[in-house]
Amino acid sequence: MRLHKPIIAVTVVGAFVLAACGGSDSDNGDGPESNVDTDNLANTGRAQDPTREGPVTIEGATEGGTVKVISYAGLNTMDPTEAYYQNTTSILTGLVTRSLTQYVYDADQNSMVLVPDLATDLGTPNDDFTEWTFTLREGIKYEDGTPVKPEDFAFSAARSFDRTQFPEGPAFSNDYFVGGDTYGGPYTDPKGTFEAVEIDGNTLTYKMATPFPDMPYWGSFAALGPIPLGAKSDPEKYALHPLATGPYMFGDYTPEKSLTLVRNPEWDPDTDPGRTAYPDEYVMDFQVAQAKIDQLLLADSGDAQNTLTYDDVQASNYRKFQDTGRVITGGFPLTSYWGPDYRKITDIRIRQALAWVYPYKDVDLAGGYIAGVTSVPATGLLPPGTAGRVEFNPIPDHEPQTTDTAVAKQLLEDAGELGYEIKFPYAKDDENSVAVKDAIVASLKEAGFTPNPVPTTVADLSTLRADPNADLNVRSAGWIADWPSGASWFPPLIQSTNLDAEGLGSNYSVFSEPEVDARIKEILGLPVDEQAAAWGELDETVMTEYLPLFPIRYGGVAQAYGSKINGHFIDNTIGMPTWKNIWVTQ
Amino acid sequence: MSTQLSADVVEGFGEGEPPAEPEPTKELAGRSPTQIALARLRQDKVAVVCSVILLVMVVLAILAPVINSALGIYADLDSPDAPRPNEVLEFDGFPAIGPPLHGFTWDHPIGLAPGTGYDNLALLLLGLRTSLIVAALATIISTLVGVTLGLVAGYARGWVDSALSFFIDFFLSFPFILGALALAPIVTTRFGGNTETLKRAELITVVGVLVVFGWMGIARLIRGQVLSLREREFVQAARVIGVPTRSILFKELLPNLVAPIVVSVSLSLPGYVAAEAGLSFLGIGLTETPSLGRTINRAVPYNEPYPLYLWVPVVTVMVLVIALNLVGDSVRDAFDPKTRR
Repeated sequence: MRLHKPIIAVTVVGAFVLAACGGSDSDNGDGPESNVDTDNLANTGRAQDPTREGPVTIEGATEGGTVKVISYAGLNTMDPTEAYYQNTTSILTGLVTRSLTQYVYDADQNSMVLVPDLATDLGTPNDDFTEWTFTLREGIKYEDGTPVKPEDFAFSAARSFDRTQFPEGPAFSNDYFVGGDTYGGPYTDPKGTFEAVEIDGNTLTYKMATPFPDMPYWGSFAALGPIPLGAKSDPEKYALHPLATGPYMFGDYTPEKSLTLVRNPEWDPDTDPGRTAYPDEYVMDFQVAQAKIDQLLLADSGDAQNTLTYDDVQASNYRKFQDTGRVITGGFPLTSYWGPDYRKITDIRIRQALAWVYPYKDVDLAGGYIAGVTSVPATGLLPPGTAGRVEFNPIPDHEPQTTDTAVAKQLLEDAGELGYEIKFPYAKDDENSVAVKDAIVASLKEAGFTPNPVPTTVADLSTLRADPNADLNVRSAGWIADWPSGASWFPPLIQSTNLDAEGLGSNYSVFSEPEVDARIKEILGLPVDEQAAAWGELDETVMTEYLPLFPIRYGGVAQAYGSKINGHFIDNTIGMPTWKNIWVTQ
Repeated sequence: MSTQLSADVVEGFGEGEPPAEPEPTKELAGRSPTQIALARLRQDKVAVVCSVILLVMVVLAILAPVINSALGIYADLDSPDAPRPNEVLEFDGFPAIGPPLHGFTWDHPIGLAPGTGYDNLALLLLGLRTSLIVAALATIISTLVGVTLGLVAGYARGWVDSALSFFIDFFLSFPFILGALALAPIVTTRFGGNTETLKRAELITVVGVLVVFGWMGIARLIRGQVLSLREREFVQAARVIGVPTRSILFKELLPNLVAPIVVSVSLSLPGYVAAEAGLSFLGIGLTETPSLGRTINRAVPYNEPYPLYLWVPVVTVMVLVIALNLVGDSVRDAFDPKTRR
């Protein structure tokens, strides 16, 4: 899943706040308190409840009020087929568009549970997971009163194949559905035949080209929700006003500036096992400066009392927010990592040396992270709680988040590469990025590397990083699992990509080993109860044998809200507020 | 040779000094206008105080690296003895020693920077140094360029003058901030391939931008003065006897222009200091060298939890600019024969 700010993707974010229960092993001052469960950071949505039914009521909640949302970043695109950022995905699926399945917040577990949405259960697979059957609920209508038909689901599935019309959208249909690599979608390939969905009355059958045990998770994406055929869903119009099946619909929308969501009169709470609609409307303002967001929420006067944000509080204000008690922390399945270019840095000892030399704690401090809150020590690629995760250390004797330049130097000498040049990009117009660069350079020098950071600007950073021919040999990236299984980690991150056709994709370490590619294909075909363990094993093998990348931290969030906002918990599948639980004190 | 009748000389006599004991050995030499001006400056208390402050700042700036190593404080991680951030900062970036959460300590008299752990005093001294270097360079170069072009434009008249005047007006009409915002990133991404060349490229860019947008003031001033001076008899006499133009410009006219030049220099220095701080604050100035503007930029989010971090560089820039401005004002007053003291 792509993160919603370009700077996040470089792991130097203004303020990520993650609190670990006693996770920080630095003895500087008091550790933060928070309710992030570091042992189960990715224990997200593993829980499933196929029998959940609506309506949902929250004890003590009052109807009415306006929720104001402020954020620094804008919304990339709100077309359900193309929305793939944290903020767009979460707002659409939480408030506006319904899909086959959805996540709901479980207060006891402080985690998310997968429950049905417009389907009556979580789908029935065939034996080898190449067919999934869903029965749809009856009587669902769009915001304009037209009924939702099974053909609308087939249309949205077809739409989700179109990588030309929706280049930034999630591509899981292409990866798994029948015709994924041949059919180009209704706009790019109008004459092509779409065979992946069969309709029989109110029942849909999705057909897969390769086994896809995680289909219910893909079914929670807005891309697989109902979209009406014809001119109504013309992509240019639809991105500005997708038709709502959820409790709220689009009011005014100025892309990148503001969005107003008003009540959708056609939403029937009895048909919805997850959502509530206590507030009257949501008024969202974007491109608000980070400092301003913090000050507004700290002051908590007037409108700010029913305001919330899904941005992290800045490190400089975290203590003050803790004192007010109006900050919520939580984990989410993000791993930030450094990916040495596998084509250029071929000796595993050099990659291991990099893992020893990287100044984890210094980078966290310089980058504005808060140890234990937005930064949790990391070992393998899979964050804790991912199904099948094995707790291991890919680098023997290396304590997570420790730096030992002497060991790194020794490794370099053993490899005969003292003075090895390291070229990594940084944004010279972002003070945090410069400070992180300085910390890394100091550490690399100490260990005998020759650091040559490549200056660029915030605007150009992701372009430079995505260029396979750029003069770099290390790239840093962050990846959030789309759902809690290894299938959401390994294929995007370490499967070979066709560099000429599609560039790096998300494989920023440019890792390519045919053996590993074959193993990944194999695991995708295993029976579902064996997959989790197989992914865990793959994590251990790949990291120990090849070390294509090394994780810098697991992620977490800290979000603030005003005193009249209730129900702002953290959706730990994506690190956003639990929209479905929010209500305003009257 | 300058024959500008100085009213001061006349005034000096008329100031009514009591006819005290005659000093027979004292030579009654006329004082040049510059000497008179300097004498008046010496009497101006404000100028003296500000000059002392400036002198102190200049000395501190020149000796900044020496002071830093003497006190054992560091503004970056280049030295192996510099403390690493995780050694001196708490979990959320606030300093573990000194303000704001802990008491004053002599090791770090004005505290550490949050997030990086650099010493604020070291940053301050090096930032002062950067400001003064950039301002001095920009002033010198823009003065040289402006004076030359002004001299030529004023003396030449005709189409040369028209062309140069148009040139001057064109640059005057350019909005400085927009021009800087546009130019700086282009130049640095073009030339800043790696961090070493980036440092130099950035310095040249900042000085270049300041010069490009700053030479016009002195040019117009000099041009105006030259236009009036060139009709004077001594200039006409020089032309008649065939003195080459270059000599007329630099030996006849230039000495008469010392006053406006000195005044312009002393008033543009603070302007450049403030401009450099502003550019660095906006992120289009220097990013590799410590700079007061950069520190202020980093310190803005900390204005409530850690006000010392923000206010020290702000006050420093303020004091520097005010001192330079006051000295400039006093210099202007001292050089102006029409002001009575």
